[in-house]
Amino acid sequence: MPTAVLLDSSLSMTRPVSVEGSEEFQRKNLAVHGLTMLFEHMATNYRLEFTSLVSFSSLWEVLVPFTRDYNTLQEALNNLEDYDKTCLEAALQGVSNIVQQEWGTSCPCQVVLVTDGALGIGRGSLRHSLQTVKQRVEDKKFPLPFPFPSKLYVMCIANAEELQATDSMDNLEQLINLNGGEGQIYTMEGPLCLKSVQSMFGKLIDQAYSPFHAVLRCGNLTSDVQVFPRPEPVTIDEEVDPMPRTVQTDLEIVGFIEIGDISSPPVLSRHLVLPIAVNKEGDEIGTGATDDTEEETSTNQMAGKSPNFCVLLHGSLKVEGMVALVQLGPDWFGMLYSQADSKKKSNLMMSLFEPGSEPLPWLGRISQLGPASDAAENPYGEDDSKSPFPIQPKHKRSYAQNVTVWIKASGLQTDVQKILRNARKLPEKTQTFYKELNRLRKAALAFGFWELLKSMAELLERECTLLSDSAHPDAAFQLSHAAQQLKLASSGDSKYAAYEHNITPMLTDFSGGGGADRI
Amino acid sequence: MFSVSHKTAFVVDHCPYMAESSRQLIECDMLTKSRSQGVIPLAPVSKSLWTCAIECSMEYCRILFDVYPTWKLVNYIVSDSEVHILNSWKQEDQNTHELMAALAAVGPPNPRQDPECCSVLHGLVAAVESLCKITEYQHESRTTLMDTADRVANRGRIICLTNAKSDTHVRMLEDCVLETIQEQNKRAAGSDRLMPIQQCELVLVHIYPQGEETLVSDRQKKELSSMLSSEVHSVRAGRYLASKLNVLVQQHFDLASTTITNIPMKEEQHANTSANYDVELLHHRDAHMEFIKSGDLHMAGSTSRDSGLKETVTLKWCTPRTNSVELHYCTGAYRISPVDVNSRPSSCLTNFLLNGRSVLLEQPRKSGSKVISHMLSSHGGEIFLHVLNSTRSTLEDPPSISEGCGGRVTDYRITDFGEFMRENRLTPFPDSMIDAAGRTPVERAKSQLERYTRYWPMIISQTTIFNMQAVVPLANLIVKDTLTDEDVLTCQKTVYNLVDMERKSDPLPISTVGSRGKGPKRDEQYRIMWNELETLVKAHVGTSERHQRVLECISACRSKPPEEEERKKRGRKREDKEDKTEKNGKDTEEKGWTTDSERLKGVMEREKDEQSECEIIKDSPDSPEPLNKKPRLATEEQQPPEKSKE
Repeated sequence: MPTAVLLDSSLSMTRPVSVEGSEEFQRKNLAVHGLTMLFEHMATNYRLEFTSLVSFSSLWEVLVPFTRDYNTLQEALNNLEDYDKTCLEAALQGVSNIVQQEWGTSCPCQVVLVTDGALGIGRGSLRHSLQTVKQRVEDKKFPLPFPFPSKLYVMCIANAEELQATDSMDNLEQLINLNGGEGQIYTMEGPLCLKSVQSMFGKLIDQAYSPFHAVLRCGNLTSDVQVFPRPEPVTIDEEVDPMPRTVQTDLEIVGFIEIGDISSPPVLSRHLVLPIAVNKEGDEIGTGATDDTEEETSTNQMAGKSPNFCVLLHGSLKVEGMVALVQLGPDWFGMLYSQADSKKKSNLMMSLFEPGSEPLPWLGRISQLGPASDAAENPYGEDDSKSPFPIQPKHKRSYAQNVTVWIKASGLQTDVQKILRNARKLPEKTQTFYKELNRLRKAALAFGFWELLKSMAELLERECTLLSDSAHPDAAFQLSHAAQQLKLASSGDSKYAAYEHNITPMLTDFSGGGGADRI
Repeated sequence: MFSVSHKTAFVVDHCPYMAESSRQLIECDMLTKSRSQGVIPLAPVSKSLWTCAIECSMEYCRILFDVYPTWKLVNYIVSDSEVHILNSWKQEDQNTHELMAALAAVGPPNPRQDPECCSVLHGLVAAVESLCKITEYQHESRTTLMDTADRVANRGRIICLTNAKSDTHVRMLEDCVLETIQEQNKRAAGSDRLMPIQQCELVLVHIYPQGEETLVSDRQKKELSSMLSSEVHSVRAGRYLASKLNVLVQQHFDLASTTITNIPMKEEQHANTSANYDVELLHHRDAHMEFIKSGDLHMAGSTSRDSGLKETVTLKWCTPRTNSVELHYCTGAYRISPVDVNSRPSSCLTNFLLNGRSVLLEQPRKSGSKVISHMLSSHGGEIFLHVLNSTRSTLEDPPSISEGCGGRVTDYRITDFGEFMRENRLTPFPDSMIDAAGRTPVERAKSQLERYTRYWPMIISQTTIFNMQAVVPLANLIVKDTLTDEDVLTCQKTVYNLVDMERKSDPLPISTVGSRGKGPKRDEQYRIMWNELETLVKAHVGTSERHQRVLECISACRSKPPEEEERKKRGRKREDKEDKTEKNGKDTEEKGWTTDSERLKGVMEREKDEQSECEIIKDSPDSPEPLNKKPRLATEEQQPPEKSKE
């Protein structure tokens, strides 16, 4: 889940804050301090996150495009310049554009807006933007809600009282509402100082950047893992009681399925599953202040050398071309598989299915999947030549069952011609002739199209008169028999017009045993 | 969950005037040139208004059932002097085959029936009554919600295909529906099997013959009350009606259209040439979500087709390069239905897909860059349009798994775990399959994984027994939930075989990793092997009495530390033995043997001891003598060990 940091570089950010100490701080310095803390946290615990830094005033500028290089981000923070007034709408539009350019509209993204809460005056101010939000034409729409799934975090280098004194707080709240309530406003508590900015960013880190740790379990084999990006709660769009579902920290494998059987299933999101070393006290190595990098390296090496279930699982999944079905919560499942990138580096990945008892129609209800060894007969065959998947639906879809549609004249004409073509090749084509004839008959009866039955009968009678002298004598019998049967059906007489009734070939002396054989 | 589209009631007018011709003529006598001489072509046929109404409504249902095989239900009603209800809300009734059979039984309208006693009103009243009836899905939802069952909504739609006399006539029909809803809601309030209608959409389609002026005017959707809205479509019979219902089914069920273009197809006449064809498909509109959100809908080649009634997104066929063993990152999969289901290009495409092949689809872009955005693929005879992620991944360039924890270990039992995965593959079981313990199949799968992993060393150098072919039969059986007597026998044979190997001093595949020199001596190797085997079997000893017997066999047959032999010699009682089997593994591990001579003594004594012990536990011929294997097997069959034990 990439992060776009939107930093206010307007003149108001250079306002000094009164501090007890000797050194004088500007709000900008506090903002930089907070962001430094955020970047440091990400570099240590969330280093796969892509982050971009954008500064804005009346204009906006991408200082650092999306990157995992936190040094570059830090460097940019150290070289900020001051500009004119705050103009938030344009900046939000800018962020919206750069995110879409980079990640499209389906990738969820976090936007961290850092501002002093002085949101401009007159045209271009947030107040003005919000007042006119309903009067926009199609191509000048307000950038919120973002077209991609998003969280908007507003970090105010100001305290709540200050913001409530003006309408800033109201405006910011309105901003979150415009984003569908996705986001949160953070303000500083107490005096504006380094400590309070730290505590504010600490809250953001807890909220949005805490790593997701879980235990991956396959029976008694386990591994501690970090799931990245962390899975966010999912709300199913149901009418009755929509409750957000969260992925549990116990990821339990329930069994295995061939890749060909699971067959590119639709997923909500994809995550890396990274094994982590947990030392005996239960703390993760690498968190907290680890100044002693040498020690860290040696522990990492140790961790590299002790066998880990994730690596075993990954290796076998890759070799066998299989996926592991994993339970994420009640009635919620996902799959684990090996994924290789372009550089041939491979990794254990987890994809989340839609919550529910039957996320993939071709697997059926997941609760009904059991061990293949419990089945009376091996569903995969003794030589692995079979598969119980995909599950066949009860009824075939229209395109799989030769339905009759005569909406276009050509559909009807094709069906009539097909019968006539076969009629001319009697008695060789007796079987196909009657099959097509019965198909037409059924559809004509269902559609109440008796006129067609009569016309078809006439056409067959005419074919009969056109038969050449060399024609097989059986052909004439079959044609007149078929024509007569159609006429009877077109009378609507229940004896002849029953839908399930089929016209069968006439038994003639000529067709004899051979004719019957063909049928 | 229970939106208006959950229930659709079709009401088709079956009154005498519907027998009137649509006046759209179809030439079905297409004479070929060579045969046309001297033959008078047959007069063209024409469908009645009824036939037009039926085939278009069937087409509506066909598309609906293709895209939504469940949850979206149709109740089909035909109205003349009485009401013919052709099916119910039951899921099993939801297919066109059943409806066609029922329609055939009704037959076309009888033009000689007295028009006075015929009316579509009967059908509309029946439709309202039907909408009050609870569906299986509503019932299930109400049952699970218990106290809050009243939150399950009841909404529906009535599509009425008729030939109305005038706008006033239409008004009369609407009033009748509104009144009936009010009446029925009162009745439903006092019934368990009925639900009051909260919202109903009435869609009146007035059908009139071609070449006539319509007597009824089109009207957009209008709220008649808080419960009822109504719209009127005045349409000429024939293809106009067909495209109207096609548009309606798209509106009613949130469908969108995609045209697959550039499909290479062999020409019928010239088998060696191929031409490119287009096929239009309908599916849920979410398959276009990325285009809609990014505003790319028009750029993606969306064009209006067929009299400008609908929009379609064009995607280009890519020569198949994908196979089923490739996992694509897919963000959605939606069932499709071809618009022109039995045209040659459509059936060519669908048959290609039903045969198990997949097609990647490319989104045409102005810039000329190639973006694969979708994939067509079938699963179990159903074709799905998969949405593929075509943007940059946030997971690119991750650290390789070899750089992380356990990444430096090189002797993982990859092949063995692969075998383990195959054994733990899943398979669907029928809904009623719950075992004696009340476990669902998926719970049984989890408990099987638990059993199979009770002792499962991850690396080759951590195990001896799993590197030995000789142990395989026992290792495969012992993890099972239940053992047969035959299984126990197989396990015992495995053990005897190991004893045999030990006596012959066969080398064991003991890992030399971490030890200096040549590794442990032979008997030390066997001690390690026996210990490991005991650990494996002990992990399963609680499963059943037969599992216990396998452990007993091992304890009895294996080489033992000399101290115990001493103790045994000093006159151990039979009762002690059970106790000992529990401790045995630990004891041997802790004590270990000191000198070779002592061990040799131990082995010799063990052999002696074994003879006597075998008498007690199992009258097995596998005691050291005789060494001939063939007669041994024969004796085993005659004397199953469990009998002798008793």
